[in-house]
Amino acid sequence: MIKPLRKGSIVALSFLSLFFVSSCNPFSPGGNPKAFRVNLGTEPPSLDWSLATDHVSFNVIANLMVGLTEFDKSLRPAPVIAKSWDILEGGKRIVFHLRDDVTWSDGKKVRAQDFEYSWKRLLNPKTASEYAYILFDILNAKEYHEGKIGDEALLGVQAKDDSTLEVKLKHPASYFVSITTFEVTYPQRQDIVEKFGTKWTEPGNIVTNGPFLLASWQHENEIQLSANPNFFLGKPAVEKVQMFMINEKTTALAMYEQGQLDFIDNHSIPILEKQRLSKLPGFQRVPQLRGYYYGFVIDRKPFDDVRVRKAFSMAIDRSVFPKVLHGGEQPASCWIPPGMLAHDSRIGLTHNPPEARRLLREAGYPDGKGFPPVTLGYNTDEDHKIVAEAAQGMWKRNLGVLVRLENQEWKVYLKKLQTEPPHVFRLGWGADYPDPDNFMKLFTALSGNNNTHWKNPRYDQLLELAAKEFNGKKRVKIYDEAQKILCETDLPIIPLFTTAESTVLNPRFAGLEYSPMGRLMLRHVRPSRTEDGR
Amino acid sequence: MTRFLLTRLFHGLTVLWVVVTLTFVLMRVTPGGPFDRERRLPPEVLANIAAKYHLDEPWLKQYARYLNGIFRGDLGPSYKYLDRGVSDIVAETFPVSALLGIFALVFALAFSFPVGICAAYYHSSWTDRWCLLIATLGISLPHFILGALLIWLFSIQLGWLQAGRWEGFTSVVLPTVTLGAAPAAYLSYLLRSTLLETLAEDFIRTARAKGLRESAVLLKHALNNSLIPTLTVLGPLFAALITGSFVVEYIFAIPGMGRFFITAVTDRDYPLIMGVTLVYTVILVCANLLVDLFYSLVDPRIKSY
Repeated sequence: MIKPLRKGSIVALSFLSLFFVSSCNPFSPGGNPKAFRVNLGTEPPSLDWSLATDHVSFNVIANLMVGLTEFDKSLRPAPVIAKSWDILEGGKRIVFHLRDDVTWSDGKKVRAQDFEYSWKRLLNPKTASEYAYILFDILNAKEYHEGKIGDEALLGVQAKDDSTLEVKLKHPASYFVSITTFEVTYPQRQDIVEKFGTKWTEPGNIVTNGPFLLASWQHENEIQLSANPNFFLGKPAVEKVQMFMINEKTTALAMYEQGQLDFIDNHSIPILEKQRLSKLPGFQRVPQLRGYYYGFVIDRKPFDDVRVRKAFSMAIDRSVFPKVLHGGEQPASCWIPPGMLAHDSRIGLTHNPPEARRLLREAGYPDGKGFPPVTLGYNTDEDHKIVAEAAQGMWKRNLGVLVRLENQEWKVYLKKLQTEPPHVFRLGWGADYPDPDNFMKLFTALSGNNNTHWKNPRYDQLLELAAKEFNGKKRVKIYDEAQKILCETDLPIIPLFTTAESTVLNPRFAGLEYSPMGRLMLRHVRPSRTEDGR
Repeated sequence: MTRFLLTRLFHGLTVLWVVVTLTFVLMRVTPGGPFDRERRLPPEVLANIAAKYHLDEPWLKQYARYLNGIFRGDLGPSYKYLDRGVSDIVAETFPVSALLGIFALVFALAFSFPVGICAAYYHSSWTDRWCLLIATLGISLPHFILGALLIWLFSIQLGWLQAGRWEGFTSVVLPTVTLGAAPAAYLSYLLRSTLLETLAEDFIRTARAKGLRESAVLLKHALNNSLIPTLTVLGPLFAALITGSFVVEYIFAIPGMGRFFITAVTDRDYPLIMGVTLVYTVILVCANLLVDLFYSLVDPRIKSY
């Protein structure tokens, strides 16, 4: 007969084993509780501002560095290292005059030569920077990048002395000063980059000039910044910033609610939690300079007929999108986003189902009868699916047309846009620098980002005129005309909405600025008055 | 023994070569490239990037370059993480995944042995049913559900443990349990079923007839003879656990290597895909070799060499 084992001994063995597992602790205790803690979401791919291309990297760089200018509240370039600039020769030559009290973190002075080096490095074919094209307006820049010109001395950027930077352009470009707000144009130290090679951005090697210093960088885990005591605009109020890399939004939100994070944004807020969080103190929605649109491939039937494109646009009630996405999106019928020069919400086609049906009937598809099968493509993502299903429903209801939805993994989708695009496709566009030129250029005939195959010489001509125009009012007028062609007359795209960032700042802190360009600016973060007892 | 090891080494290298070649080809035939962006790059910019990473060369030349790099211990640059090479990334993230994997494996073994033994010994009793229920839950609950449940309970509701990050004891427990749950449950099932078969064997009856203590019959004779299937799965299991899990590392913000098995593919970061696949394959081959060597220790009738 089988003798039963004592159950207790087995249970004890289990607990003993579990205790062994749980008692292993290879770590040191957590960090300084006084630090300001944010979630980056992911590892920044690069802190080399000649190579960085993404928001996460730029959010770190924007707190480590400053450049010639930064955009002010009205999104115009304001002086930072450049105390002033002269626009000469009808806009073909710009001379920046630099402050002489700005220093690098190793105590050396920031000089015009540091800008010259950085810009030439950005354009150097060997650097292979994705953003090299941002400086192609500079004389000989494109030719140098293409390797047609080998001598970098021929480039139209030159430090005349330590505090004077001269830029010669191929053609007048009224938006060029705005480009200097972009991080890729920040200065670099040739000695540091050449000494450490690809490792120059590591803590201990990197030399910066901004409000914070890079104290540590544990890859895939955490970046620590410390306040720069010698920052020329004053030392930041918080001594230390911890930037975590938590991918999962639910986890990041749990950490905020546990008091382990002081600020969260869309990287850390699940879509379904946005409404609940909007009631929290410190919640803010920050409109972004980022447009969301559907494009038509206009050389394919049935969207080669502008009446069909207009009908599709007028069948959409854009006010639906903020209701289904809960992210504070702003419905848009024009392309230039709110807050940017030349934005005009009166431009564009608005929701008008009877007119949409009339146009479709006129195009030969009464109540959608005989309409060929068409596909709306988008990259796989829950938000894009919600938007696509809402649009599909409205087209069916208002036009009687059933549009097939097709989603693909991001890179496959991008490839397909080039090889066999769907009839209607989803894309978005975020501003690199806050000037309408950056948005409007997207749809010129030569733009590599114009997936619609639409061309209009008048539109291209207007953009060239706007680039040469330095009078703000006249520029607005030119862009108005261009926007009307894009969003009313020819309509190769349907602008749907501009996005917003949902943010929550721990009420213990104040002063955080989340810019319309999606930058997390920590320079003015300070303990709130109640917290520091004032 | 030497001949056995040499043969296995040869087999291992062959497997490695096949995996590297297949991965190389699959990556290139998958639509979409590493530098396809929403903001499409101008052709001259793309040409310079392609030249920098030798993507403008014929496939065969790229393949030869990559193999040459492997022999020199250089896994190439990452196309996504531009300040680091793949070797740096693997060297930084693999130890974290390995540590978490070892914790999860120890948890799985510590859980599965008592549960499997209990379930087999008290076959068809309530103890067996409870053990089976726990094991079924462990197998059926996907990582992302179990992880979210554990965070909700232990972090949000009770506030005992940290929801994420890899920085102390309170942050280790939840990912360890989440990662170890499925292997623990699977091993429990496996051990229970093999033990049940072994307990019905003649030699167990003989051992009992000779008056051996029940604990000796169960833990020495029966258990020893039921270990072969468990050992067989331990090799691949070990390799899978220590190279990291995308879901667990993602949910708990663990700075490990597991996430790259997915993100490197979605980013089309070819060298990183190759790097993590290579590491995984090497560990799998080594783990299987170790298992083969252990067979003969557990059961002298099996001679591996």
